[in-house]
Amino acid sequence: MRSGMAKGNMERAASGETFVFRRPTIGVLTPVAALGAAFIILLTASPLLNLFVAALAAGSRGLSGLLSASVPTLLAKTLLLATLATLWALLLGVPPAWILTRTDLPGRRLFRVLGLLPLAIPPYIGALTYITLLGPVGPVNKAYQAMGGSGQLVNIYGLWGGVLVLGLFTYPYILLLAGSALESSNPAMEEAARAAGHGPMGIFVRVTLPLLRPSLLAGSLLVFLYALSDFAAVSFLRVTTFTTEIYHQLNTRFDQQGAAALSAVLVLLTLLVLVAQRRSLGRRSFVQRRSGAKPPTVYPLGRWKVPALICTYLVLGGSVFLPIALLLYQAGSAATIFQTLASGHRYLWNSLWTAAVAATVATVLALFVAYLIDRRKGPVGLLLTAATQLGYAIPGTVLGLSLILLYNTYVPWIYGTAAMVVLGYLLRYLPQAVQGSAAALSQVDPNLEEAARGLGRSSWQALREVTIPLIRPGMTAGWMLVFISSIKELAATLLLRPAGFDTLPVRIWIATVEVDFAVAASTSLILIATTALPLFLIKRLDSGISQLD
Amino acid sequence: MTLFFSSFRPALFCSILLIVVSASAVMPGPGGPEAGSELVIYSGRKESAIKPVVDLFERKTGAKAVLKIGKTSGLANEILQERQRPRADIFIATEAGVCEVLAREGALDPYAPAAARVIPPEYKSGRGYWTGISGRARVILYNTGLVKDGEVPSSVLALADPKWSGKMAIAGTLERTTLSWLGALVHILGEAKAKAYIAGLLRNGLKVLPDNSDVWRGVGSGEFALGLTNSPNYHLALKAGLPVGVVYPDQGPSGMGSLVNPNAVAIVKGARHLVLARRFVDFILSQEAQAILVRHAFEIPLVLGMDAGEVRPLSSFKSLKISQERLADLEERTIRLFPGF
Repeated sequence: MRSGMAKGNMERAASGETFVFRRPTIGVLTPVAALGAAFIILLTASPLLNLFVAALAAGSRGLSGLLSASVPTLLAKTLLLATLATLWALLLGVPPAWILTRTDLPGRRLFRVLGLLPLAIPPYIGALTYITLLGPVGPVNKAYQAMGGSGQLVNIYGLWGGVLVLGLFTYPYILLLAGSALESSNPAMEEAARAAGHGPMGIFVRVTLPLLRPSLLAGSLLVFLYALSDFAAVSFLRVTTFTTEIYHQLNTRFDQQGAAALSAVLVLLTLLVLVAQRRSLGRRSFVQRRSGAKPPTVYPLGRWKVPALICTYLVLGGSVFLPIALLLYQAGSAATIFQTLASGHRYLWNSLWTAAVAATVATVLALFVAYLIDRRKGPVGLLLTAATQLGYAIPGTVLGLSLILLYNTYVPWIYGTAAMVVLGYLLRYLPQAVQGSAAALSQVDPNLEEAARGLGRSSWQALREVTIPLIRPGMTAGWMLVFISSIKELAATLLLRPAGFDTLPVRIWIATVEVDFAVAASTSLILIATTALPLFLIKRLDSGISQLD
Repeated sequence: MTLFFSSFRPALFCSILLIVVSASAVMPGPGGPEAGSELVIYSGRKESAIKPVVDLFERKTGAKAVLKIGKTSGLANEILQERQRPRADIFIATEAGVCEVLAREGALDPYAPAAARVIPPEYKSGRGYWTGISGRARVILYNTGLVKDGEVPSSVLALADPKWSGKMAIAGTLERTTLSWLGALVHILGEAKAKAYIAGLLRNGLKVLPDNSDVWRGVGSGEFALGLTNSPNYHLALKAGLPVGVVYPDQGPSGMGSLVNPNAVAIVKGARHLVLARRFVDFILSQEAQAILVRHAFEIPLVLGMDAGEVRPLSSFKSLKISQERLADLEERTIRLFPGF
């Protein structure tokens, strides 16, 4: 399935030449761009600043908090978890991304949508699934003991359980970003490699993979940073990380400054990771241009069809079918689900509109940010990158508390409305939209826009007619990521929602506290279905457009 | 070269963007409350227990109340952050130590309801900052499939016996009821003995889990033979059809008794609806509200003479006598004494 690519005149005009060296465009910020940048920095950096001020205000007390929390050990544990989870997610995400875009695997359209479904399943629900199945008294260990084994065959608790679950429910970040890059990449380069005598493997390693680098890095970054900031899943799986320690500081000591100091360490860590990502991308150019109407090459699988299918089913089984089957079992009957839906449609609506508003605002902001970062090297781009990306690393609880203090003090008319929930989503997940747009934009040659302007288009028209259509898959991916993450968000929502305003995850949490598993499972299924819906719609829209091409 | 951001249209685009962002920011959610005449209740107690009480309060008084259900600690942190412009009128906590923390931070408003006179002094603030509304006893929960009724130790101090090696679980101090239990041990045994006792339990393979539901589900499922947890969890496990029994430990003449952690209600300092808030505190201690609270969550009534239903009333067992003020004083030391617990 090829995504819709509106091919404007400019692209056709330029289709003769394929490789163009990218010239960095350096320009002076216009007042409007500066204003926009300042607004975004104010919006995103204020909670960060608040955090650092609180951490510094803690002074020696915060320092003793840091020492008592034995930061180096925590740091090592957390980094190990995040690194292993990212590797596991790459392993789960990259092969399907290639198989589902570049081979004739039967049912690959359906698989591409199903492959994204794990994103609709909150990792804390995934964690509970695997605890039920692989826990000390789960069916797997019971069966093992029944067959005469002693002790446990598998231990789901601890580091490896955390890695397993985090990877299984975040690999779609990589599948999505690598998939859209594979879809919109230029087949001419691969053809050239084939002409030079390389086989499919050689082409993949020498051409496709290097071109995928921005998307893979962006996807890995999303997984890595998610693993750093996740709280619910890791605490269920009894893994000690930075976030569980931060929670400990807040929960038992009510030490907000200590929590801020620990979060500041997490933010600095994220900063390092981001700088590394920029460095790694910085020296190379990934510009490619789509030429003509040629879709990417599709390889016949031949005798590899069955193994490829089995692999796809295994990945989907572990990350989609298994959790959903367990939830269906726990929900008991369709009646329970409909009843939950009937009595809780207001929560569904709350979740839907807050997540949709957050995703839309994030996509617009991300286009602006990605454009500034990509087209203007310099301090503003860097500042914007830092400001929009770092929120992702702050645990939801800390971000929530920080926003409460800021908005209740300075803009009290916003505080106490559902806008705070949207803001929480936006600040936590804006990086996903920025990563999506930035990765897509880095593959678009700025000379295309210049050519458009040369042919009499205004710069706004050039952006609208040339650049946006080219990066549309990336922007769509960004919108979906923010929507999906937002609709699952729990930690910040619990704090930021006004009294009386509940979302689906809040209801799942409340049902879990009530030990009402049927309602918890029903609500989870409603949440998953709601999240899956836009995935299907967007995929249909895309295929519809590509048929028109 | 002409640049994108230098022409007029992007200016328009950016202005629209700003308007959209600010408009969406102030759009009130459907069902979202406006600050008005409604009593705002932050509750760490679960919805099924507190909502019927609030509904009844609304019916009886004609007043309106909005409820925000959350984690006790999260809501307490929220109240601390909101101190400059308080939003909540009432705070309902699942553990009184949290109210003590808030009181010390100056975030609560004192009020001594008339009905609190029949509540024992351990279960209300000496200065009126909070009042206990129900209690949970620290008990030993056991799996009846793995342990015979007579074998269960009658004292927590007997758990260091190698017989229980690797068979016990407790929630960590992320559960504040565990923290206050540890504090009570420090108070009764002294620092050195308490530390040695806990070290002995850990050597004996005591498993420290994230929360109490892990403990009772673990005991119920047979992952552990014994669990140190709170009394309502015994009833919850029974309700879930799990094979469990319960022991209220240390009941002998020289025993220290079983610690009872109170759930508490408090009025937030700067509450915008102070009169209504006080009426709510009075109401939650009334017979009818207490009946709902106790029946729903298998908790122990603290108002003496109240019908306890299927739960063991305060008068039927020996409780450990310690004030919440004392526990709050011990808290920092306790946390330091048991790192990583």
